[in-house]
Amino acid sequence: MKEPHILSAFDRDLEAVQAYVLRMGGLVEQALLDAAEALETRDEALAQKVQQGDKAIDALEEQINEECARLLALRSPTAGDLRTVLSVMRIAAALERCGDYAKNLAKRSLLLSNMSPLGGTSASILRMARTVVLRLKEALDAYIAHDVAVAQDVRTRDKEVDQMYNSMFRELLTHMMEDPRNISAAMHLHFIAKNIERVGDHATSIAEQVIYLATGAMPGDERPKAEMLSGAEPAAGR
Amino acid sequence: MMDDMRLVERDVTQLQAKIEAKGVQVHYGEKHALKDVDVTILDRTVTAFIGPSGCGKSTFLRCLNRMNDTVASARVSGKITLDGQDIYDPRVDPVQLRAKVGMVFQKPNPFPKSIYDNVAYGPKIHGLARGKAELDAIVESSLKKAALWNEVKDRLDASGTGLSGGQQQRLCIARAIATSPEVLLMDEPCSALDPIATAQVEELIDELRSQFSVVIVTHSMQQAARVSQKTAFFHLGNLVEYGETGQIFTTPKDPRTEAYITGRIG
Repeated sequence: MKEPHILSAFDRDLEAVQAYVLRMGGLVEQALLDAAEALETRDEALAQKVQQGDKAIDALEEQINEECARLLALRSPTAGDLRTVLSVMRIAAALERCGDYAKNLAKRSLLLSNMSPLGGTSASILRMARTVVLRLKEALDAYIAHDVAVAQDVRTRDKEVDQMYNSMFRELLTHMMEDPRNISAAMHLHFIAKNIERVGDHATSIAEQVIYLATGAMPGDERPKAEMLSGAEPAAGR
Repeated sequence: MMDDMRLVERDVTQLQAKIEAKGVQVHYGEKHALKDVDVTILDRTVTAFIGPSGCGKSTFLRCLNRMNDTVASARVSGKITLDGQDIYDPRVDPVQLRAKVGMVFQKPNPFPKSIYDNVAYGPKIHGLARGKAELDAIVESSLKKAALWNEVKDRLDASGTGLSGGQQQRLCIARAIATSPEVLLMDEPCSALDPIATAQVEELIDELRSQFSVVIVTHSMQQAARVSQKTAFFHLGNLVEYGETGQIFTTPKDPRTEAYITGRIG
């Protein structure tokens, strides 16, 4: 790690904002897991807890932005310090969005708990959520360690989540074609799957911030994607 | 499109070299103060020299107008050219050189003479003015360029030492530019000034850039970031890194530069 600043209060300020980001990351990871769990187990109390918990995540983001503004004004950070502050702000924004997705998942799980389940789709959602939370965790660990290799790995592996989303998409289409009464539940489940896939994209953008923080440049290469925009035909007529 | 304008303003890559230094070494007696410095200073650009005390930045600045000639123990080797001409060539008159490469010091040091005489002194001894009218014109235009004219035009006969610190420093800048130099060297020109006077001098430096090449030594990193387009970082007599100011302050290449500008023990 870097040598300390001569002015130790500067180090304390930088450590404080980074600690906030980590706390925020922890809350977001838990919210996503809880929301997916609530969906799978039809646990309404847990879903409500997730919905309530989003306020704390939003408040942390606000606090991070405020602290970063103070840091910029009072400490005039440069070079790696400046990139730390900028990346903290971007990561906090990404995490705030992920918190919103968790809240939305919880909300939809409450609606879905009154509908009949569609095969193993909610179990697939839970699997997908666990994978994505793992990516998020890895991205944040890479951030703390300034580990470019791990960050690159997170970027590369986002396509696994994309693939999970694609097969989910097909499965849901199949359910809808089999019985139009499934459409309402399938639409909710599709939004959930799409939102979890978006969380994966945010994990990727956090990983990119790690690379920016460590190297001073955003990764230039196009990252691998498996998300299909066309040709996602249902596996009908099997 | 303001951002684009800013980028264009910062872009000095198209400008010509004004001063080129190759393998410059300075010894003060036994002490090796400057080690093998290569640098190209661009025309119509503000170049900032930063680095901790004793790093060689002022020593190098003083090589650029042969001020080190006045230090008995100093030995300068290597090559420094101004517009392609070797300034250490024995045929070069250091006094003439210093008219072309002016200097402003840390503490304002006006002569204990009138404001007018302070500015008129250089042009007079270099014979740059034929007659009183021409000299008056030089004094006026220099004071205007130094953004001091409006404050002193009614009391040009008053003593230069009676001005405020910030005004005295601008008077010294007016005195330095009165001989129509091509390069202006400034050794911590704002360290004795309050923030308002500092801002005025910085604004002046930015204006002077359209006519001169300005080289400024500063201990204030903020000042280097504010006024310069190119920044050179010196450490223990070495030129560690030299680059576009924005690059130096956002993504320095050398860890020593980063440690210094971010205020770490390096």
